Amino acid sequence: MNELLKGNFQTKNQVTDSPAKEETLEDRFEREAKKRLGGSIAYVSKKKVMWDLKNEKK
Amino acid sequence: MAKVLFINPTVREEDVPRHVPYGIALLAAIAMKRGHLVQVYDENAWRRGEETIRAVLAADEWDTVALGGITTAYVSIRQIVRIAREVCPNATIMLGGGVLTSLPREMMTWLPEVDVGVIGEAFGTFPEILDRLDQGDRTWSTVNGTISRGPDGKLAMSPPRGLLHDLDNLPYPAWELFPLEEVYFPNSQVLFSEEGMLATRRLDINASYGCSLICRFCYHLGIAGDMRYVEDDKGEANVEFDRPGAYTRTIRYHSPEYVVKLARYAYDRFKVNFIGFLDENLMTMDQYSDRTWMRDICRLWKENGLAPSYLAQGGERGESWTGIHWSGTSHATLCTPEILKEMRSAGCSHLVYGYESFSPQVLKRLGKGSTPKTNIRSFFWTLEAGIRPIPNQMIGFPSEDFDSIRDSMAAWDKLGIVVKPFFSTPYPGSEWFTVNREWIERQYDGDLEKFVLDLGDATKITGVISQNFNAVELLGLREMMLMKDLKRIGEYEEIWRANHKIPPGQPSTLYTESEPPMLAVVNR
Repeated sequence: MNELLKGNFQTKNQVTDSPAKEETLEDRFEREAKKRLGGSIAYVSKKKVMWDLKNEKK
Repeated sequence: MAKVLFINPTVREEDVPRHVPYGIALLAAIAMKRGHLVQVYDENAWRRGEETIRAVLAADEWDTVALGGITTAYVSIRQIVRIAREVCPNATIMLGGGVLTSLPREMMTWLPEVDVGVIGEAFGTFPEILDRLDQGDRTWSTVNGTISRGPDGKLAMSPPRGLLHDLDNLPYPAWELFPLEEVYFPNSQVLFSEEGMLATRRLDINASYGCSLICRFCYHLGIAGDMRYVEDDKGEANVEFDRPGAYTRTIRYHSPEYVVKLARYAYDRFKVNFIGFLDENLMTMDQYSDRTWMRDICRLWKENGLAPSYLAQGGERGESWTGIHWSGTSHATLCTPEILKEMRSAGCSHLVYGYESFSPQVLKRLGKGSTPKTNIRSFFWTLEAGIRPIPNQMIGFPSEDFDSIRDSMAAWDKLGIVVKPFFSTPYPGSEWFTVNREWIERQYDGDLEKFVLDLGDATKITGVISQNFNAVELLGLREMMLMKDLKRIGEYEEIWRANHKIPPGQPSTLYTESEPPMLAVVNR
């Protein structure tokens, strides 16, 4: 049953809900820190570190 | 023996109380050790307001009501001393800490209720004042390290008080006099790391005093050997702190044995699971001790069974632990990969780095000794050690310009830094304040007290010291930085250049090294 789309007709294809990903401790921390961002509250979003460390180390 | 009432004033009213005031806790312990009768009322923790403050002051006949705090506690201190004078007309009202030390003459003028001010470190001065109270002697001008009022009403500064060098003689802080279970432990969380987020019983320790660096924005207020007594042009003594070409420092630290025994005491008596080191810069001490101090603290931390259980067993981060996780402040150029790994193995969860900016020209002028390269190097060393680096940033430096803003934004993007920068703030006692004082006063109608009343934790704009941007521009530019909106910043740069009649081909800046910011603004 399509629960995500609400409308007055039936879509051709059903939309199935993807199961919620289990939140890691790291995700939870970054989410909480983001809510309180400002002043001394700053953080590194580890998955977004894009620096080419190999080149930096040369 | 003297009957002492300590009152901890409110600070950072917008946040819950998170830190037991370490200085008051130490002074209370010193007083009790000498047999004095001590009570503490922590208004910052309880936040009950005037009625309760009156009831506390009326609870006994106090020989002295003692207050202290950082400069941003001034609003609360002003209220409390007025009530104290009214309720306790015969008590000696004493004020110390950074708020008094940074501006002793001004504070004593603005707060006529205060009888004696303790300038700089109070470990020696405070007990001597209590002894004088016991003797019925209120001649404060003969107690070194004080400012008081003479019979003619004139302010008198006694000779300076030397710093205490054998720090290990200090008793442990009297944490038990503060509402730990009621207020502080429920506010243990520090959102700087996973472990900080999970902390449920946190206390803070100050293991060292001082910092070898000369960051223009920083202030140490006498405890780092940074304070000198000078005569002003009226021939009156006053204090002087860092100014261009005049820097003095004294580095002091507790022995690793004292530090770890204190942590063990906190663990056994108060069941703490997190300790925040309040030290200005743990890495200064590590370097100053030939890289032995931090290493020995880590070794003893583990030997005394304080390293978090899963780390001691070679595991990774967990949701709960026995032992103590801890945190502190590091420095980009003074840390090493080796010590960072040692620190992690002993339970270090996060380290605050004042990276401040990723602009080469801003960092060069800051006196911090760091560069974008050392910022980035320490960032990765810390992450690789398993410690979270807290990448503090600022906006509104004297030489801040559009390029420096873009430099920082580019680094945040590449390094995954999520930050809402502090506003560069010239706190009293800092070189920025000393150099820009006249300009700051002008921003507050010539009334320095208005500026002090306005000061907060640098998350809002107060006195501006940027030569290029005013308060409105800085506020807007910070929002654009948060939104990563390089396009609008570029568009505004064109408007700004036109407003300031900068010819094509010239850099977008009004900053000049030789010209004080005050003149730069007046000339606009």
